[in-house]
Amino acid sequence: MAYVTDRSSFVHKTLAYAGLILVLSIILIPYSYIALTAFKAPGEVFEVEWFPQEWSLEAWRYTFKTVEFQKYIFNSFIAGLGAAILSLFIAVPGAYIFGRKQFRGKEIFFYIITVALLFPYVLLIVPITITWIRIGLYDTLPGLWIAYQIFIIPFALWILRGFFAELPPSLEECAMVYGCTQFQAFYRVMLPLARPVIVSLLFMTFLIGWSDFLFSNMLTTGEGPRTASVILYVTAVGGERVEWEVLMVMTLMAGIPPVLLYILAQKQLMKTFAVRRR
Amino acid sequence: MIDTKPRTRETQFVSTREVSLWGRMLQGDTWLIILFLLPTLAFLIFLLWLPFLQGIWMSFHNWPFIGKPKWVGLQNYRDFIMASYFWTTIRATLIYSLSTVFQLGIALIAALALNQKFIPLKGIWWGIMLMPYAMPPVVTGAIWMYLLDPNLGMVTHYLIKLGILSEPVYWASDPTWAKWVITLVVSWTFWPFMFLIILSALQSIPESYYELAEVYGANLWQRFRTVTWPHIRGAVLAAFIIRIVWNLEKIDQPFQLTGGGPGYETSVLSVLTYRFAFLSGDFGMAFTVGLFLIAFMVILMIPFLRRFQTLVTQAGKKG
Repeated sequence: MAYVTDRSSFVHKTLAYAGLILVLSIILIPYSYIALTAFKAPGEVFEVEWFPQEWSLEAWRYTFKTVEFQKYIFNSFIAGLGAAILSLFIAVPGAYIFGRKQFRGKEIFFYIITVALLFPYVLLIVPITITWIRIGLYDTLPGLWIAYQIFIIPFALWILRGFFAELPPSLEECAMVYGCTQFQAFYRVMLPLARPVIVSLLFMTFLIGWSDFLFSNMLTTGEGPRTASVILYVTAVGGERVEWEVLMVMTLMAGIPPVLLYILAQKQLMKTFAVRRR
Repeated sequence: MIDTKPRTRETQFVSTREVSLWGRMLQGDTWLIILFLLPTLAFLIFLLWLPFLQGIWMSFHNWPFIGKPKWVGLQNYRDFIMASYFWTTIRATLIYSLSTVFQLGIALIAALALNQKFIPLKGIWWGIMLMPYAMPPVVTGAIWMYLLDPNLGMVTHYLIKLGILSEPVYWASDPTWAKWVITLVVSWTFWPFMFLIILSALQSIPESYYELAEVYGANLWQRFRTVTWPHIRGAVLAAFIIRIVWNLEKIDQPFQLTGGGPGYETSVLSVLTYRFAFLSGDFGMAFTVGLFLIAFMVILMIPFLRRFQTLVTQAGKKG
């Protein structure tokens, strides 16, 4: 018996490590090459060489001084933050009702939200753009905040509803026995309990805003609140010659903050995702 | 509105005061439900369904970015079906949708590997695996644009060095290669979503099931077939269905890597929508193409939704 287990566990281990190494290498090889490219001098990118012959900050200087990429990074930050905060005011009360209250038409209502989760959002750029021009939201930050809700809300409702539904059923009644009103029961008891989920949701919705290209490109023009994603696209596609080392500095500046956030929120995220299976 | 159902023990010694409290609670409830649902309702109406209906209305028009729309009836639909690029687009969309299968492959390997007890430093690997997904798609798109560049990209360089390619492939202007490049880049970027879902499904399998299977002498493959797969297939199927839809609407990277070209070769339906809206400013046509995208998604999803339905009914019977 022990013999069998040992032998299979050798195959087992080999397979697991092979899989792990395979997946890690398809991620780490590209990223490490990019990180090194950002420190190459202009003109050096024309040869495939892993390490810069001479470490240079020229590309970084150019990105900060000439492109002023930090301005757009800041726009992305504000766009993401505003969208995340706005989404809480919509999704938290709604999810609370769906998770804990009974009312007529609940099933149909919830079905509509589930369909919204699978909605191909790319369609909506068309009517939204026209409407935004008409009501003056075009080329404004609030315009972006509201438009991002289209991706965010169905997802946020889905995660939060699951959380609220799993809390013990008698919580509000207890709170009310102690003299809370319905609203206070929500505000003083349920909200603090939901804080961890809300935090990881804030963080995920922030990243949706930070990363978006679909609406950010469509709903802003040169003068408006263009985000880093749009500038990256324009730099990569627009010019006749791409300055790769500069582009790679931009990818690092726009790409590393979300990764850091993921690492910071890792424990919380793993929990939020791990709960809702089955 | 007073509840007449049998009470639980705590509420059995009901005083009159408490009945009226119950009554007030119900009243408060209705008020709260309406108030709390308002934002969600406003979202569904004003950001989802009204724009959607407005879009259908627009698809019957010649609707320019700025200027007066003109009613054209079904002409946009006819134009699109008759267009020389109609089948090119459908074929591109079909190949593009294969990215869901590739994502499932990588996600399964990664999740199964990371779920083994003996693997050390799991947190670090988890963090690295999420990197492609965490970064904005335009960022990872730019990275691959550089790595795959025919003249100075690392990938071409090594493929030639290893003798796999004899000369650089100018994939952006090659119809076949362009399609596969966007499909593979999208697969590389978005697989961690399935990974997260599969991993959490794996983590919910009780360890004792594996121990039992081992006692019965099940080998690695048998354990996967009898314990692992039945437990995760529901999650896998759900993630797969979601990703079919989500992958098909990812336009950032195709738009950046090929711009839908050469010609219309990589103009998958979603990219074509965006091309019409953003580049040509032809909003009526853009939404028409979008409606074809919905139809395409629904047709593609039906077999998987059926399968999901039977799984759910089976689980319902068992439980």
